[in-house]
Amino acid sequence: MNRRTLRGGRRPRGALAITLVMTALALIYLYPLILVVINSLKTFSEIMSNVVALPSRLNGENFSNAFTLMRYPNLFLNTLLVTCMGTAGVVLLASIAGFKLSRTRTRYSWLVFLVCVAPMMIPFHSFMISLVKIARNLHLTNSIWGLGVIYWGLGVPLSLFMYHGFVKTVPTDLDDCASIDGCSPLRAFFQVILPLLQPVTVSVIVINAMWMWNDFLLPLLVLSGAKKSMTLQLAAYNFFGQYKIEWQNAMAGVLLTITPAIIFYLVLQRHIIKGMVAGAVKG
Amino acid sequence: MTAPALVAILLFVEIPFLMSVLYSFTKWNGLDKAVKFIGIANYAELMTTDPGFGSAMIFTLLFTVLAVAATNVIALLLAVILDANIRGKNVLRAAFYIPNIISLIIIGYVWRFIFSRGFDSFGALTHLGVFQLSWLGDFHLVFFSVVLVTVWQSIGFYMVIYIAGLQTVPREQIEAAVIDGTGPVNRFFRITLPLILPSVTVAVFYSLSNALKTFDVIFSLTFGGPGTATTSIALDIYKTAFSDSRFGYGSAKSVVLFLLILAVTVFQLTAFKRREVQA
Repeated sequence: MNRRTLRGGRRPRGALAITLVMTALALIYLYPLILVVINSLKTFSEIMSNVVALPSRLNGENFSNAFTLMRYPNLFLNTLLVTCMGTAGVVLLASIAGFKLSRTRTRYSWLVFLVCVAPMMIPFHSFMISLVKIARNLHLTNSIWGLGVIYWGLGVPLSLFMYHGFVKTVPTDLDDCASIDGCSPLRAFFQVILPLLQPVTVSVIVINAMWMWNDFLLPLLVLSGAKKSMTLQLAAYNFFGQYKIEWQNAMAGVLLTITPAIIFYLVLQRHIIKGMVAGAVKG
Repeated sequence: MTAPALVAILLFVEIPFLMSVLYSFTKWNGLDKAVKFIGIANYAELMTTDPGFGSAMIFTLLFTVLAVAATNVIALLLAVILDANIRGKNVLRAAFYIPNIISLIIIGYVWRFIFSRGFDSFGALTHLGVFQLSWLGDFHLVFFSVVLVTVWQSIGFYMVIYIAGLQTVPREQIEAAVIDGTGPVNRFFRITLPLILPSVTVAVFYSLSNALKTFDVIFSLTFGGPGTATTSIALDIYKTAFSDSRFGYGSAKSVVLFLLILAVTVFQLTAFKRREVQA
C-alpha cells in the first residue's frame, strides 16, 4: 500500500524546467519572510534607507532587545502552558466522550452527540461577547489557566467528532474482553482503547496545538490588562501597536514568536499535514 | 464519561451563544446590571440606519467572493503541479505551506512592513509604478491588499487538501485517457476535476467560512481602515462591543454573522454535494 510506488509513475516531460520555475516561484512567494530575517539583523537606519540590502554587519542586538522587551522566556512559557494545557484537556475530554457516544446507541446519546458537535457551525465571533462575560463571572480572565480551560470548550467539538468517527473502526470485542477480565470502564478505555486511537490523537494534538499557539483574539479578550499573563501573539500586537514602530526590534520579535511554530512544523511535518487534512475532511 | 466534555461545550460555546441571541434584543453596555429589553430595535438599526454595518457587510461579501475564488484556483493549480512526479516536490510543498503555520496576526504585521518599508525600497530599485502606489492608504486599493495577504497566507492549506484529493484519482483512468489521446487540459476538466469534487467541496467550504469571519489579518494589517474601507463584519462586531461598549447591539450583529455563515455554507454544501453524486 505504498502510495509513492502506486503513484509517481513517469516523470512528466520538462520535469526539470517545472522544478526550476516552481523553485523560483517559491522563493518569490517566501520573499516577505526572507526580508523579515534579513531586516531583523539590521539597524533601524539601515532598514529606513533600504530594506532589500543585506546588513552591513551581523549583530544580534535586535534579538536581545526584543528578548527583553517581550520578556520572552516568561511569555514563551505562558504560551506553551496554554497550548499544552488546552490541548491535553481537549484530547482527554474529546476522546472519552467520543468513545462513549460512539459506543452507546440510544436516542439520548445521539442527541448528546449533536449538542456536542453543533458548535462546529457557530463562529467564534458570534458568541465571544457573552463568553467574555461568562469568563469574568467564573474568574477565568487574566489568567493563563483560565484561558486554557476555555480552550477545552472551544476545541472539543471538532476533536470529539474525529474520535467519534474513528472509534467505529475499533472492534467492540475489545471492550468486552477488557470488562470480562475485570477492567473498570475507565481503565479499559485508557489501557486498551486509547492506544488504538493514536492516529486521531496525533491529528487532534496537531490541530489544537497549532491553533492555540497562534490564536490571538481569545487571549486578547480574556487576558486584557494583566501584564504578567500574556501570550507571544499579544506581545507581537504590543510591538506593532505603537505609534512609532521600531522595525528592527519588531522584526526580531516576529522571528522569536514564529520560530517555535516553525520548528514544531519542521519536526512533525508529515503529521501536521496529515492532521490538518484529516481535520478538514472530517470536520 | 461524556459529562466533562458536555459541560465545557455548554459553558464556553453554547450558553454564551444563546446569551448572545438573548442580548441581541436588549440595550446593554456590558457593565451595568441593568439590561433593557428593546425588542427588535437592534436588528432594525443594523438594517436601516447603521452605515458601518452595511459597508462591513458589502466588504465582507466582496472580499469572500474574490478571496475564495483566488485561493481555490491558485491552490488547485499548485496542487496539480506539485502532485506530478517532479524533483523536489516535497520541499516545494513544504515551502508553500510555511505561511500557514504562522499566526494571522503576525502575517498582518509582516505585510504591513512589506507594504510600507519594503515597497518603498522595491520602488526605488525598480522604478515600477505598482510599488509607488499606496497599498494600505488608498481606499480602493487596500481591498486588494487584504485579499492578497489572505490568499498568500492560506493557499498552502488548500493546496494540501487538493493534493490529498488528487492522490485518490486512479492512475488507470488518467492513463486510459492518455492512450485515447485526450490532451492535458481536457484530461483535467473531464476526468480529474469531477473525481476530486469532494475535495473541492471541502476546500470551498473552509475558504468560505474563513473568509466570511475574517478578522485577524485585518486587525493587524489595517485595523479596518482607512476609514471603514476594510472593516469586516467580525471586526465591526469587535469594535461595536469592545470599543463602543454596545454589547446588546454587537450581539445582534453577531447573530446576523452566524445566520449569514450558516446560510451560505449550507447552500454551498447542498449545491456541491448534488454535483458530486452526478460525477
